[in-house]
Amino acid sequence: MVEDRYLVWKFKRGSRDALRAIYQKYADELLSLAGNLLDDKTAAEDVVQDVFVTFVQSIEKFRLTGSLKGYLATCAANRCRDYRRRNNRRQTAAVNQAHRAAPDAESPVQLIIRGEEFEKLSSALSELPYEQRETIVLRLHGDLRFRQIAKLQDVSTKTAQSRYRYGLDKLRSTLNGEVRK
Amino acid sequence: MRPAEDIEKLIKKLRYKASAGTHEKVLGNVLQAMDERERQKSGVAKPEIWRTIMNSKTRRFATAAVIVIAVIIGLYYLAGPVSVTTSAYAEVAQRLQNARTLLYTVTSTTPVQGMPNMVMEVAFKEPGYMRMTMPGGYVSVMDCIQGKGLSIIPPKKQFIEMQISNLPNDGGRRQFDAIEKLRSLPDRADEVLGERQIDGRTVQGFRVTEEGMTNTVWIDPKTRELVEVEMAFDNAPGMNGRMTDFRFDAELSDDLFSIAPPDGYTRLNLQVDGGEASENDLIEYLRLWSSWTTDGTFPPTLNPAELAKVSMELVKAGKFRPAQPSNGQEDLLKHTMKMTRGMMFVLKLPAESNWRYAGENAKYGDAQTPIFWYQPSGSATSRVIYGDLSVKDVTPENLPK
Repeated sequence: MVEDRYLVWKFKRGSRDALRAIYQKYADELLSLAGNLLDDKTAAEDVVQDVFVTFVQSIEKFRLTGSLKGYLATCAANRCRDYRRRNNRRQTAAVNQAHRAAPDAESPVQLIIRGEEFEKLSSALSELPYEQRETIVLRLHGDLRFRQIAKLQDVSTKTAQSRYRYGLDKLRSTLNGEVRK
Repeated sequence: MRPAEDIEKLIKKLRYKASAGTHEKVLGNVLQAMDERERQKSGVAKPEIWRTIMNSKTRRFATAAVIVIAVIIGLYYLAGPVSVTTSAYAEVAQRLQNARTLLYTVTSTTPVQGMPNMVMEVAFKEPGYMRMTMPGGYVSVMDCIQGKGLSIIPPKKQFIEMQISNLPNDGGRRQFDAIEKLRSLPDRADEVLGERQIDGRTVQGFRVTEEGMTNTVWIDPKTRELVEVEMAFDNAPGMNGRMTDFRFDAELSDDLFSIAPPDGYTRLNLQVDGGEASENDLIEYLRLWSSWTTDGTFPPTLNPAELAKVSMELVKAGKFRPAQPSNGQEDLLKHTMKMTRGMMFVLKLPAESNWRYAGENAKYGDAQTPIFWYQPSGSATSRVIYGDLSVKDVTPENLPK
């Protein structure tokens, strides 16, 4: 947090190194966030670029009041919504399965097993209503609080919490018996 | 049923990996957007960094000194052959040559974010006196006949007494290159630019392109007056000077050029080398800088226009060693002088020298790494300075790529 404030402070004073450090710190996380919201890696990469370019262009007025990651995650979520609105379509997770990073695993066998689990989970996530999916992804990949998600979605905090809970319940029931323990 | 926390952990592990080269490409675009933003901002004074710099009196003086000296260096460049003749131009040249006193204003601009333009009033009087006044009451007087100078620093109630050595043996006039070269400038224009309007006056432009510098002279053909001189440094992009408000033969009292110290002020001594800056000056500058950094690295750039900004970044990043016990202000002055002479050497190198600086991230003592090279005029080989500050003559085929 302190480091982020320092980086933003330096960046506001024209430090390219600070901007580079911010990018390197958060680009992967934003890519995962956008990728899980859009199921489209290329679009997710575009979103990450848009988020940072807009960040650069608006840095004069930017004031870091919360976490930088939360701010960037909110920007990414808004960009993903715009993207979905423009394209008015949902892509299937299958298109991008190959681009997902390999999950951590203890052995090659476990890696294969886990790989299957992740494909099923990803597919199930993509089948959720977008609001539930967005809530889950912002909570787990953007580290946003429910009240921040609620504000973004223009709903009450309780509604955001409900969306999260219902979303996880659906995932569990979809995956029940399929995901290995 | 799988517990909710397990699902949450698995979702957290649903990560995407960027395609090969994507991050480099996107980051490149983002940095380009930053450059674009900086370009758009250039010319708009943002007081933030300037305020930060000015909050430190020491830094303020050092920065001001570098800028003032850089402007003076700029005037040093006004030399060389070539002539363009128009009757109005010749008359302006004649007036400059004949002037017993001369007053003008120099406005210097730098590309440093947030640094406002610096305005300096310059007064010259024959046979060899010069006075420069800056905002805040900073005054410098030079008596190049005696080889002495005085600078007043009002906020600290200090004055710097300068002893100038290595003056050319010409009665001190060479030290007024600023004036002598300004005087010779109209005779050496190599390009006629046509007309433009300045403050409602139609003026004619002439350009003088010389080693490391481009000067544009604007004169009023009706009144035969010198209206404006613009200066731009090839080796310091964005650092420009504009000379305006010329007045010739105004009555200037000798008191204005007195080098008697003011009462109640503390003396600081400074030896000034009035000779030409040399390769050795650059080496000493590099040695000095590397002694300041925690890891012994050299300056990231030799562009004086970026000096303040770069220094601020390094200070904030903790890259400078804590100040060592020293003679305080006098050491600061000596260091400023060393830095200035080192930068002067680079500023004066012409484009044909093909000079290159590769000292960023290089460390003092690294005898294998070339950090600076240039081809002296008339030489078949280039001079290469290495990280241990040794110098070798290198043939073109063996130059660093």
